[in-house]
Amino acid sequence: MRKTFAYFIDLFLLLMPVSSMAQDTVSFPLKIRIGADMAGPGFYLSDKNNLSIEGYISYDRSEKTAWVAEAGYLDYKYSQYNYNYLSKGWFTRIGVDFNLLKPDISAGKYQAGIGLRYGLSLFSSETPSFRHDNYWGTTTSSIPSKTRMGHFIEVTPGVRAEIFKNFSMGWNLRLKLLVSGGGGKDLRPIYFPGYGSGGKRTAAGISYYITWNIPYRVKTVITKPETPEEPEDTAEPDVSSNQQRSVF
Amino acid sequence: MKKAFRLIIASFVSAMIVIISSCSPDACFEETNAYLKASFCLDLTKKIKAPDSLTLYGLNAGGSRIYDKAAKIQPALLPLNPSSDTSSFAIRINGVTDTIIFVYTTYPHLISKECGYTFFHYLDTILYSRNIIDYIYRSNNSITTKNEENIRIFY
Repeated sequence: MRKTFAYFIDLFLLLMPVSSMAQDTVSFPLKIRIGADMAGPGFYLSDKNNLSIEGYISYDRSEKTAWVAEAGYLDYKYSQYNYNYLSKGWFTRIGVDFNLLKPDISAGKYQAGIGLRYGLSLFSSETPSFRHDNYWGTTTSSIPSKTRMGHFIEVTPGVRAEIFKNFSMGWNLRLKLLVSGGGGKDLRPIYFPGYGSGGKRTAAGISYYITWNIPYRVKTVITKPETPEEPEDTAEPDVSSNQQRSVF
Repeated sequence: MKKAFRLIIASFVSAMIVIISSCSPDACFEETNAYLKASFCLDLTKKIKAPDSLTLYGLNAGGSRIYDKAAKIQPALLPLNPSSDTSSFAIRINGVTDTIIFVYTTYPHLISKECGYTFFHYLDTILYSRNIIDYIYRSNNSITTKNEENIRIFY
């Protein structure tokens, strides 16, 4: 009986460290996402002079980060009392999204985070006519169509939520910084694809996405890392030596 | 899921309000004319001094005067003709008239989306009579909307 009891005690002691090293995990589906922007066509319904179409594809590198590639097309016309302006072309943005939600909350269905992008735009712009009035009278002129290249960077906070199985929706706010709009300092583009108002150093925009999610792998993510067993402080204070010192 | 959907819709609507309000067209408040800026100096003292009376008008410009017996003009703003590569002016300083001809090149410049385009110039040559004008010093050949002196007229 005593032997059996000792065996159980030994087994308990053996299992103790195992239970203290337990970790929590969650199955996180990594996905490829393909999305289309609804904001551009939405704006087009109210302003037929500004057609913007764009979509994106993203690839979950991990539960926290995803590579993103976006591409789109813009056909922009603007007219006011002293000039007309046309801009048409393509753009692409590449970058990375950071999901700030914890994996157990996100579960591959929800995203809230921030993205960084580098944008490149290839477009043609033209001013078919402009008018300038001064002391000598009215001068009318035009700037012929020319192909230009624009560069910009973006910080893009946004959210996504899965509404139906493998379909999500959400939006991204786009805060843009112009690197170069082409055209030099005199003929900056008034508006160009992917960036917007090229006359300004900074610009803002919004994208509203409907996204199709394709899970490609399930990753086991540790949500609570194992806590190493703390060594028990069993060492008795060396009273004798202290005593010896105090005596000494 | 309902909560997430509501959150998305609410945040999207607020973002749209911000974007749409920032997209509303603005008025043009910038300078839209690139003037040649001419300062006046007394040749005797070499110090900047506005003429007591200044009359200025463009030759072949329809006869309207830019300044008419105006006092304390410093600097004078001379509009160049963007349709031509020369602009000629009659200038009467304290009752004595001279003629100045500017030769330049012209190029378009975007001011802003709100204001549209203007013309900038690059000054090439200055020709002038010397009734009251002693000489003209060129300080900056680029004629833009910036508030920078282009020439100095010594009289």
